[in-house]
Amino acid sequence: MTQRASGPAAGATYVFAVTRTLDPAVVADLGGMSAGEPVRTLPLGSLVGVVQSVPAHDFTDEAWQQRLSDPHDLERCARAHNEVVSASAAYGPVIPLPLATLYLSDTRARQALESEADRFHAVLRRIAHHAEWGVKVYSSPAPPPAGADRPVPSADRGRPAPGAGLAYLERKRGLQQRREQCLEQSLRIAEEVDAELGKLATAARRLRTHGRRPSDAQGSQVLNATYLVAEQRAQEFAELTRALRGRTEARIELSGPWVPYSFISEV
Amino acid sequence: MTGEPVPWDTPGPLSGPIGVPLVDLLDRVLATGVVVSGDLVIAIADVPLVRVSLHALLSSVSERVPAPWPDGGPL
Repeated sequence: MTQRASGPAAGATYVFAVTRTLDPAVVADLGGMSAGEPVRTLPLGSLVGVVQSVPAHDFTDEAWQQRLSDPHDLERCARAHNEVVSASAAYGPVIPLPLATLYLSDTRARQALESEADRFHAVLRRIAHHAEWGVKVYSSPAPPPAGADRPVPSADRGRPAPGAGLAYLERKRGLQQRREQCLEQSLRIAEEVDAELGKLATAARRLRTHGRRPSDAQGSQVLNATYLVAEQRAQEFAELTRALRGRTEARIELSGPWVPYSFISEV
Repeated sequence: MTGEPVPWDTPGPLSGPIGVPLVDLLDRVLATGVVVSGDLVIAIADVPLVRVSLHALLSSVSERVPAPWPDGGPL
């Protein structure tokens, strides 16, 4: 950090989440972002922050860049953050703050967060008794080679080796067409799945689809959507997902229940 | 407020704090959330996931440097 203005203590306050109420014991035993200091609650007027004191020098811009560039560190941070956020939901709705939300002190955190109290309350009302469910749809696996069932064309303009190159091109073209049809069909399925699930959801969002990994032989992702679903509809939502899986024969993955990460910035 | 516990940490078929797929977790932990102050978009290698702009955040809450925006946040 370039500014060491905060004195010899050089502590920072990492904020995981904001909620209405929380028994500190629920989060006290969690590791959080940094060993040494416990995860604790910070009163914010009518709200409570879930925070941890961390050494400022471990949480500078440079330290974060380094940490988040390392897949293991990134995973550790993301899971630690989510663990605290998820535990904080024990007594009611919780607003997760993004990974790496830091203030130089509890006082600064309180100032910044209390000024947002109205917005936080509006968000908490919106997400109360709701959970987020993620749904991903994948395109069908690549179609089988089209060569076998294609007749080799007969002699072409009287050349001596008739049609070999043309047949090859046609096979290639056929394969490409099938791939495109396959993808189109998968996209149609994705739209259908999204429309059906959206009817049961209070809100829906499309997330960026994940790039295809070389190890992924299962086809590419055509839908990465997430839904805000009322508690009493969660079972129905899961059942509908299963039904859609059976009806469309597509690979459909369901994840959840999540703290509604994706539905708190819209109020 | 509700006193009813919500089973976030109940290990369901595809959930649970440890069992959650990392890529789905990153979708949520990095890309969403209430941004209170500071701009959090990270670029990891060439994958534009999120770029942490903590420097501005930490500077803005330093006693020596006034916050670059009024009311503590861009939202």
